[in-house]
Amino acid sequence: MTRYVMVIDQRRCIGCHSCTVACRTWNKLPLDIVYNPVVTEGAQGTWPNVHKTWTPTLCMHCANPECVPCCPSGASQQDEDGTVWVDPKKCLSCKVCVNACPYGMRDASKLEDRMHRFVRKCTFCRDKRQLDPSAQPYCVLTCHQKARIFGDLDDPNSEVSKIIGSVKTERLFEEFGTDPQIYYIPDLGGKA
Amino acid sequence: MTEISKTSSGLKGLVCPDTESTEVDIHQDGVEMIKSLCYFCHANCGVLAYVKDGDVIKIEGDPNYSSQGGLCCRGTSALLHVNHPARINHVLKRVGEKGEGKWEQIPYDQGIQEVAERLNQIKAESGAEAVASAGGTTRTDDWARRRFLNQFGTPNGFHNALLCWIPTFMAETCVAGWSPFETDLGGAKCLILWGMNPGASTLGGMNGYTDLQKAGMKIIVVDPRYSETASKADMWLPLRPGTDAALALAMLHTIIYEGLYDFQFVNDWCDGFDELREHVKGYTPEWAAPITWLDAEQIRAAARTYATNRPGCIQWGCTWDQIGRASTTGSHAIALIRAICGNLDVPGGDGMPGPSLGFLTDEEMEANECLPEEQKAKQIGSNKFKLTSWPGYQIISDNARRTWGKTLPTEWFCEAHGPSVFKAILTGDPYRVRALIVNATNPVNSYGDAKMTLAALKQCEFLVTVDYWMTPTALFSDYVFPAAGALERPTIVTHYGATDSFMGGRRAIQPKYDRHTDMVFWRKLGLACGQDPAMWPWETEEEAYYHILKPLGLPISNYNEFVDRVRMYYPPLHQNKYITNGGFWTPSGKVECNSSILRELGYAGMPTYVGCCENEIDTPEIAEEYPIVLTTGGGFMPYHHSEHFQMQGIRYLYPDPYFSLNPELAEKLNIKYGDWCWIETRRGRIKMRANVEPEVHPNVVFAPRGWWFPERDGSADLDNPFGCLESNVNVLTSVDDWDCDPMGGSWANRGLMCKVYKCGEFDKEYKKSDTQFSIPGSAKEPGIHMKPSEMKLDREPIPFEKPQPEIEVPEGYEWVWQNNTLYQKGTHFRLDESGWLINPRTKGYHDAYTGWRYDSASECLVDDETGKMYTMEREEIPFLAGVRCYPGQDAPYEVPEQLTWNKEKGFAQLGDKPYVYDPNSGWMLDPETGAYHDAYYGWLYDAATANLVDEATGKRYDMSYAPIEE
Repeated sequence: MTRYVMVIDQRRCIGCHSCTVACRTWNKLPLDIVYNPVVTEGAQGTWPNVHKTWTPTLCMHCANPECVPCCPSGASQQDEDGTVWVDPKKCLSCKVCVNACPYGMRDASKLEDRMHRFVRKCTFCRDKRQLDPSAQPYCVLTCHQKARIFGDLDDPNSEVSKIIGSVKTERLFEEFGTDPQIYYIPDLGGKA
Repeated sequence: MTEISKTSSGLKGLVCPDTESTEVDIHQDGVEMIKSLCYFCHANCGVLAYVKDGDVIKIEGDPNYSSQGGLCCRGTSALLHVNHPARINHVLKRVGEKGEGKWEQIPYDQGIQEVAERLNQIKAESGAEAVASAGGTTRTDDWARRRFLNQFGTPNGFHNALLCWIPTFMAETCVAGWSPFETDLGGAKCLILWGMNPGASTLGGMNGYTDLQKAGMKIIVVDPRYSETASKADMWLPLRPGTDAALALAMLHTIIYEGLYDFQFVNDWCDGFDELREHVKGYTPEWAAPITWLDAEQIRAAARTYATNRPGCIQWGCTWDQIGRASTTGSHAIALIRAICGNLDVPGGDGMPGPSLGFLTDEEMEANECLPEEQKAKQIGSNKFKLTSWPGYQIISDNARRTWGKTLPTEWFCEAHGPSVFKAILTGDPYRVRALIVNATNPVNSYGDAKMTLAALKQCEFLVTVDYWMTPTALFSDYVFPAAGALERPTIVTHYGATDSFMGGRRAIQPKYDRHTDMVFWRKLGLACGQDPAMWPWETEEEAYYHILKPLGLPISNYNEFVDRVRMYYPPLHQNKYITNGGFWTPSGKVECNSSILRELGYAGMPTYVGCCENEIDTPEIAEEYPIVLTTGGGFMPYHHSEHFQMQGIRYLYPDPYFSLNPELAEKLNIKYGDWCWIETRRGRIKMRANVEPEVHPNVVFAPRGWWFPERDGSADLDNPFGCLESNVNVLTSVDDWDCDPMGGSWANRGLMCKVYKCGEFDKEYKKSDTQFSIPGSAKEPGIHMKPSEMKLDREPIPFEKPQPEIEVPEGYEWVWQNNTLYQKGTHFRLDESGWLINPRTKGYHDAYTGWRYDSASECLVDDETGKMYTMEREEIPFLAGVRCYPGQDAPYEVPEQLTWNKEKGFAQLGDKPYVYDPNSGWMLDPETGAYHDAYYGWLYDAATANLVDEATGKRYDMSYAPIEE
């Protein structure tokens, strides 16, 4: 079996937003849609004892997604490899899934004609992987800092398996029971 | 007639209409992959472009290039840039009033012809120096501009070079003979990132730093802002903006007086160290603490960390050259810090590549010999800022020729002082500059004192702009030429002609529409101005780059082949070159702690403290009215300089200008996040929105550079076209001569004093009064109050009398006072005690009378130009059929017994046959035909059958002289 996951190394991220722009460029996103925003609260603390981290985000491709069972048309679905995606041809743009996602990682564009709107979200570059199964998502390839690592968790030799097995990682909002599949190596201050 | 007044980026182009796969299939038939380089900042990351039917369908980062496949937001957007609807695609000729935005579209060559005629007319009326050219950051070669300007005869080309590396480079070259800018981080134990934020400017570099830090290298970041890079540092020194010189001097003091320097290196290789020790005596960390707002212990800790973790590197940062009058003092002190710690040119230290001795340097492409001496003297600003203009360049360049054998380009390293040229347009002092060719820059946003610069551009009699976009500068131009950009041009990286490595990328496609590359623009303009076509032999960049690379002797037959096969050329790494070279590349051959070149130019030979131009200690009266410290000029994602504000796919990340201020200050000033505020200095005020964040000191604000609003209608407000003044930090910076660095001419971007207040209900619009300029910039009333020639520098020149030669100087030689040595003029070869000339580049010996090279293998002299060989008595050595002859001499080699020595002609012959004996091969050569004959019978060698032929009888023999039966 294959289970795609992503590891995000916050110790390396410097908040350049290259992943965001690469994603929007190659997935041809309308201007009001971002699949993978990089979130920061800015410097925290009192000068000069401050610290700053960035949290790159994307769809968590949960093992137990809220957004799939709630879809009335079956557009929102999950592949066997864990990829959660929306079939635009089936999507009614009812946005039930948008409200269901606890991470706020999907939306329909308001810039598009109402009749042609559909809910968009990160698909781990599913289109690209269909053409070339070994391909990596654009946000991973473009990252100078190599802060995003993508791979198969079921393959014990993959980089993501090795990291998740050896480094303490965190996941966002595990308490919701969605079993998110994006693993963060937090930046606790100091060097990478 | 086309009217271009509004720039709007096409939203529709960004939205994918169909809902099928958005993926571009790069494996389909007919797709070619081309290795290109990104062109959006100096990092020049590797790009792979996929081209089908003459158009790029997709790009991605090149994983096999040094950038390891990474591409930032700008690089990723290259395709949107090429096809952006607001790009200028044809030559625009102004038909309305200046700035009205009414244009006629004309063919490229017609535009070139009309501009050339006008330039020639101005040259005839006012001299070539009345034509100037402003540049930005052409990445990274710009010799074609200089080649044009030199042949045209004007010394007034300039870039923003004085804010970026050049003054530092020149000061460092005065200390050690070349700038030690190539950090060898692999072996370094400590790295200081000083005034540099690679986390937002050179992302490819940041990746390497992070990896090395993980492996144990210590990173010290010097930055007044808690930058992206500072957030990952081992040690962070948040100094008061603009006080880098004080910090550097205090670190120098600590390293010297705590005995942390490299004793052996200082003893062997440093000249004037005792003077330096005495000179920095007062610059204690306690002295620097109140200036820099750091603890003395913090300064000591940084100095100790750097000095005790050897080898170590100090990466150059833009800040060093943006502090105004204190700039070069700081970089000079930093140059000495790394020198006395023994980190110059050693493994793991700061590498000194020197000029390329393999491929041609940019300097060799510039045709500097075309510029007459009297024109050099007219270079604007060269009487004041000597280090980075002809007076200093000439001394440094001559020294480089004597020590390296090649030199620095004049482009960047020897330029007119940009702000002084703008002042000359406005005041006619020292003379009126009538025409300005602006290429690859938008001076209103990039040069200091934006209000004055905008006024100069408006007032310039003849303005020509080459650009991608309708910038505020282009708006006031008489002609606007479309420039070819990323993917449309081959790109090379040679670090401005100052290094010996060469990286290249191909163009993916030919320029679209009527766009042309810079070199083609200058070449066409040069030819139209009547320049000699023989001086412009290359029609394309590829031809010129191949010409540059040819001396390397690589197995390539054109430039594209170089990219495909080699791409990154590095010469064998030579470290510790100063040992093998027998010294550093300074006049004295040592690291000069008290620089003789600086003293010769009338400057202090050792770094002497001066505060930044506005600060609480030296100018309390300014600090009273403007109590907050302002720092500007730092790079930030996603923009580069004043670029990319048009591109919605990038702009959405950072749609409005935000300045940073500490929550403590915000509370005091009653400012909340997102409020529009005024930032005001003595020179003017701008509006920005507040980012309340403790990333800066409670008394510091950080304002980002470059802001303008290309989405606005430029012609609607000619006082502030495209909003180019209203949020532009350069309204706040100072280019007054006393605020500029007296050596390098850098103007003041950092450590200025300002006040900040919220935009009031009746004071939120940018008014006409906010746009009026004054000279000097700090004058209270608008207008010209002072001529530039009346403006004094911060420091008076220190009189220096050059010593007189102690020895007789023969004609054709010059005497260098520092080392009491004669050098041949022209070649710059050193006259050795032995009476020979020594070529610094090859270390070869040359005859002092003829210049011919001594060839030890054949014990003769060789004229490398003609290839002719001469005896040690300088008599030409005759060659017959390629065989060296010795007329009138006895045979210098053993003559086979069957041959006789012809003393008169100087070769061995067989009987009376006319053939010449070649002692190297043992064959006889026919001087008429060059054919080979055997040395026993004189039979002809037939290569086709490998037989010998007796020409008299026609009989054939094999190689052992056995007859062959027919």
